[in-house]
Amino acid sequence: MLKFIIKRFAAAIPVLLVVTTLTFFLVRIAPGGPFDTEKAVSAEVMQALKRRYNLDQPVYVQYFDYMKNAIQGDLGPSFKYPGRTVTEMVKTGLPVTFELGVYAMIWALLIGVTAGVVASLRPNTAQDYVPMTMSMIGICLPSVLLGPLLVLVFGLWFEWLPVSGWDSWQHKILPSLTLGSGYAAYIARLSRGGMLEILSQDFIRTARAKGLSNTAVVFKHAMRGGLGPVISFIGPAIAGLLSGSFVTETVFQIQGIGRFYVQAAFNRDYTMILGTTVLFSVMIVFFNLLSDIMAVWANPRLKFETSKGAR
Amino acid sequence: MTTSNTPLLKVDDLRTYFHTRNGVVKAVDGISFHVNRGETLGIVGESGSGKSVSSYTLMRLIPTPPGRIESGSAVFDGMDLLKMPEKDLRKVRGNRVTMIFQDPMTCLNPYLRVGEQLMEPLLIHKGLSRDDARKRAIRALEEVGIQGAASRVNHYPHEFSGGMRQRVMIAMALITEPELLIADEPTTALDVTVQAQILDLIKKLQREKGTAVVFITHDLGVISGMADRVLVMYAGRAVETGVTRDVFYHPQHPYTQALIDSIPASHAPGEELFTIKGLPPDVSKPLPGCAFSLRCLHAEEACRSTDARIHELSAGHGSSCLRVHQGSLKVITHRVAHASGQGAHA
Amino acid sequence: MSAATETVKSAPGSDELSRAQSGMDVEQGTSLWTDAWIRLKRNRMALAGGIFLVSLTLMALVTPWIAPYTYEGQDLQLGASAPSAAHWLGTDTLGRDLLTRIMYGSRISLMVGFLATAVALLIGVLYGTISGFLGGRADMLMMRIVDTLYALPFIIFVILLMVIFGRNLLLLFMAIGAVEWPTMARIVRGQVLNLRRQEFVEAAIAMGLSNRKIILRHLIPNVLGPIIVYTTLTIPSVMLLEAFLSFLGLGVQPPMSSWGLLISAGAESMEEYPWLLIFPGLVLSLTLFSLNFLGDGLRDALDPKASKD
Repeated sequence: MLKFIIKRFAAAIPVLLVVTTLTFFLVRIAPGGPFDTEKAVSAEVMQALKRRYNLDQPVYVQYFDYMKNAIQGDLGPSFKYPGRTVTEMVKTGLPVTFELGVYAMIWALLIGVTAGVVASLRPNTAQDYVPMTMSMIGICLPSVLLGPLLVLVFGLWFEWLPVSGWDSWQHKILPSLTLGSGYAAYIARLSRGGMLEILSQDFIRTARAKGLSNTAVVFKHAMRGGLGPVISFIGPAIAGLLSGSFVTETVFQIQGIGRFYVQAAFNRDYTMILGTTVLFSVMIVFFNLLSDIMAVWANPRLKFETSKGAR
Repeated sequence: MTTSNTPLLKVDDLRTYFHTRNGVVKAVDGISFHVNRGETLGIVGESGSGKSVSSYTLMRLIPTPPGRIESGSAVFDGMDLLKMPEKDLRKVRGNRVTMIFQDPMTCLNPYLRVGEQLMEPLLIHKGLSRDDARKRAIRALEEVGIQGAASRVNHYPHEFSGGMRQRVMIAMALITEPELLIADEPTTALDVTVQAQILDLIKKLQREKGTAVVFITHDLGVISGMADRVLVMYAGRAVETGVTRDVFYHPQHPYTQALIDSIPASHAPGEELFTIKGLPPDVSKPLPGCAFSLRCLHAEEACRSTDARIHELSAGHGSSCLRVHQGSLKVITHRVAHASGQGAHA
Repeated sequence: MSAATETVKSAPGSDELSRAQSGMDVEQGTSLWTDAWIRLKRNRMALAGGIFLVSLTLMALVTPWIAPYTYEGQDLQLGASAPSAAHWLGTDTLGRDLLTRIMYGSRISLMVGFLATAVALLIGVLYGTISGFLGGRADMLMMRIVDTLYALPFIIFVILLMVIFGRNLLLLFMAIGAVEWPTMARIVRGQVLNLRRQEFVEAAIAMGLSNRKIILRHLIPNVLGPIIVYTTLTIPSVMLLEAFLSFLGLGVQPPMSSWGLLISAGAESMEEYPWLLIFPGLVLSLTLFSLNFLGDGLRDALDPKASKD
């Protein structure tokens, strides 16, 4: 098991290296520099700026400098906001985005797994159709639409919940629902499929033959295998939640890194773009790794195989 | 067999149909039998004859829909298993009536340790503490001949071989000391060498604990070694029933006779093997008369229209063959008579 | 042998004869697709989805001729107005007819959806087929690359590309297509690996057919089912991505319109003029619904495993 984790970890390093390198050079070849503002800047000022941001060096020197610093957690100064470093900005934005992602994930798992399991117990009846139709609606109401709709209905018409910011718990309901709903819907379909597959297995019949109640059969015997697809999906889902946070943070005006990234993209704040991209990659790779490990943990057969394979 | 006159289990006119898109499949179509305390009833038939479905019906393990128990009763110790409330049934199922299945590779939960699965029946039916249940589980593994039981309880099913898993299944089914064990082709998926061990194990434990067994198989050889009495099924119906010895040596139905004749061991070396011509009928179509009449070498016009039900010919020996009842057909097997040609004479 | 000579003798185009003579193969092929079609027709939701999509596409194609107004035609005096006889779906804050703008928006949204999917399809199918067909080390390496791509924050890359190279429509669907292909490649590769082990492919190899011919003639036609299904399911995710980017202001640029852009604009003034959000949103949702239902229906119809029960 440990060997498996180390192996997967080692495989993640080149991925991160490729991402960082690719982004670094993509940003460098981009037409139009970060200092192309409306006002013309004198040559000396430009020169001074370039020196300050280490841009007068050859590209490869810049690259190695950047990588050296990045490993130590220093993502360089922001081009757009002088005096602030990217690391600083990430530090203020990341907890917000992370919190939003966690709540969204909780919604998604709570609603999705419940709906999927309930539907799987009586396939092709109302108990199946109702949650599955809801889930289809969830899939077809993307956050760009659901966000504004929720704001309109609960924020502006009924005035039940605040529509922007990230202070009290009331502020957190609509954004996390917006972000989580699509995933809830997808998780519902995944868990329904997984449960149906497991519930048709012979060992479920054995469990029933033992005289176990339906509840015990479902919770003890079926869930662990049936939710396997959901567990494998958690990693990609977190990656998706993080990138989905762009829209949600924009709709609800939340100062998370998603919003920073979009702003950086508009402002051509290259160090910020680079820094957030690297950060996103690290997180995505990490969560994918985590969900792989969880999948192995949940399925003893895989554990057996990985330990055999490692020998 | 035992002092009591009432059988442990009495099944009457059992019918289980599957309502599929392509019509109603009459998997079990009116079978009746009984099992006495401590005895072994063998149910034999080819695949698709409804023998497994009838055993699942007894345990109410038929997936509904599409399956439905259409009629019949299965009285076990005064209770009708088919009609009692699910809640009461659960106290019997897995406790007083247990079951082992055909494929040990798929019938154990791969996600749970073997010990956990063994303990389950004790925890739900016997109210044992986890500690006691665990000790009992280890003992049960020892009883079925698993070495190092104390550590093996912590293993997962995939760490056991097929034969070992079937031993675990048997231990699990017998752990509550049931009065009736239903064994649905428990050796079919196993290697021949392992088969004999498993059969011996079932016999030994049955003797020790006085358990009655319904043993389902398509293998006549296995039946002859295991069963006190036998029920022969064809296309969801019972065609012959009786004491094993009688049925094997004096079959009273052309189908039974054909089955016995198809055993390779009953042929002289080099002799062409006997096969039953044709295929089993499609049970989703109406089958008037005797279900075997379409393949029977002795069928007459009446066989295809008159309902064939089991009638006793002598004490405890019944056949559904119309012509046997009428006395116009005398069934003789190859095995006994070693006659060439048809082996049965009108 | 004799069948072959007779076929040659028979007049070209005498379809029935050659079909009868080439026997089972053709018949099975036909019945598979006919079967799927029958199953699909029975699935009312899928059928409704299909009809909606076809109508929508036709409408988008002829929009320049049938649109009631021009898409940039403003009527500042009118401003935003609720649905009326003159403007069925109302007008936006600049007095532009919403129906017209949605119709023109469909052209962009559908085009991005279809073209980006086509890009993903092309790359994915070729890559997956080659990988599955070559097998062994080449396959391992190629799938390793796909795995690596999966780990990349792709949406971020798309945004990055849009920022760096400007918000250009061609680039938009190239970028989206480039994001969506690895899943297609995986699916196709799995299918091809399965097929490769089957006898008719071995036979083709034994007959000395070139790899190119085997891939084009034997493999691709046989993985068509899963490809069609997955394509129907890729289009909605592509359209979502477009809506997403346009919403952030990184996709299609005004005065052109797309559904994402209309929703974004609608969201800004939704308190006073909710129809500006609701109508474009409805069209987007209905389209996503249709594509998903059609995709599900096709999967049930084309996947024999799923239709067994």
